[in-house]
Amino acid sequence: MLSDQGAGTASAVTEHVAATGTELSDAEIRERMSGNLCCCGAYNGIVRAIQDVAR
Amino acid sequence: MRPFAYVSAPDVATALHAIATESDAKFLGGGTNLVDLMREGVEAPGTVVDVTRLPLKEIEELPGGGVRIGALVRNSHLAADRLIRTRYPVLAQAVLTGASAQLRNMATVGGNLLQRTRCPYFYDGATACNKRAPGSGCDAIGGFNPNHGILGVSGSCIATHPSDLCVALAALDARPWRAREAERILRGAPATEETFREAAEAELAPATSRPQNAFKIELARRTLVDTLWRLCVEGSAA
Repeated sequence: MLSDQGAGTASAVTEHVAATGTELSDAEIRERMSGNLCCCGAYNGIVRAIQDVAR
Repeated sequence: MRPFAYVSAPDVATALHAIATESDAKFLGGGTNLVDLMREGVEAPGTVVDVTRLPLKEIEELPGGGVRIGALVRNSHLAADRLIRTRYPVLAQAVLTGASAQLRNMATVGGNLLQRTRCPYFYDGATACNKRAPGSGCDAIGGFNPNHGILGVSGSCIATHPSDLCVALAALDARPWRAREAERILRGAPATEETFREAAEAELAPATSRPQNAFKIELARRTLVDTLWRLCVEGSAA
């Protein structure tokens, strides 16, 4: 998920799909984690953990 | 699941030969629709012709300003493509709002357009469905149908086309539904809310609804007016 986002791909919540880079917001993490495992892949603690790893 | 023959086509000629000569042959792309339908017993192909090895995976810019998208381009690849994202953002947006990342990684553009309807009665062999078993009737009419069609429907079937990509392509002058009546009214007319409303009403005049999906006519009318208004004022429908 991080490499996909880091490569500059857009998601359904990216404001401008043509933008070359997206900020790794909580909304981006939730959208990009959706469909991975299940909805628990985007629990608050998991979103925070992903932010920690990304930093 | 019923037994079926499997052919992995190495080139287009082999694929076309197999589909034409084998009994009840079906093309297999990403399998995100056909395999489900085979599990449900809705599709029972005698031969599955796997086309995923064919060289139809390119997104090419054409002389004259167009773009050709290979039938086997994965949805995720289409949504990530630089040319599509900059010049045809509506296509990228349509893909990204559909399904899940896993499905988008598997599903192909060709399959997105050729998938069967997602009408639940079509999938349920215990119900009547003219699309699955012609002449058996339609349990969606009079059944649970808030997700069913209001345009291009008939007394035999009110299923919708399921492809989000197809809707985006329709906006780019492809099938299935093009708002020709709205286009006729809008062409050359002043870009006012009144014109937009008139165009939306004319387009939706032939709409047929059932009690559970009647809300769609008003929803479609308002969405058309709102989208046109935003395109006009903000220069973007996003």
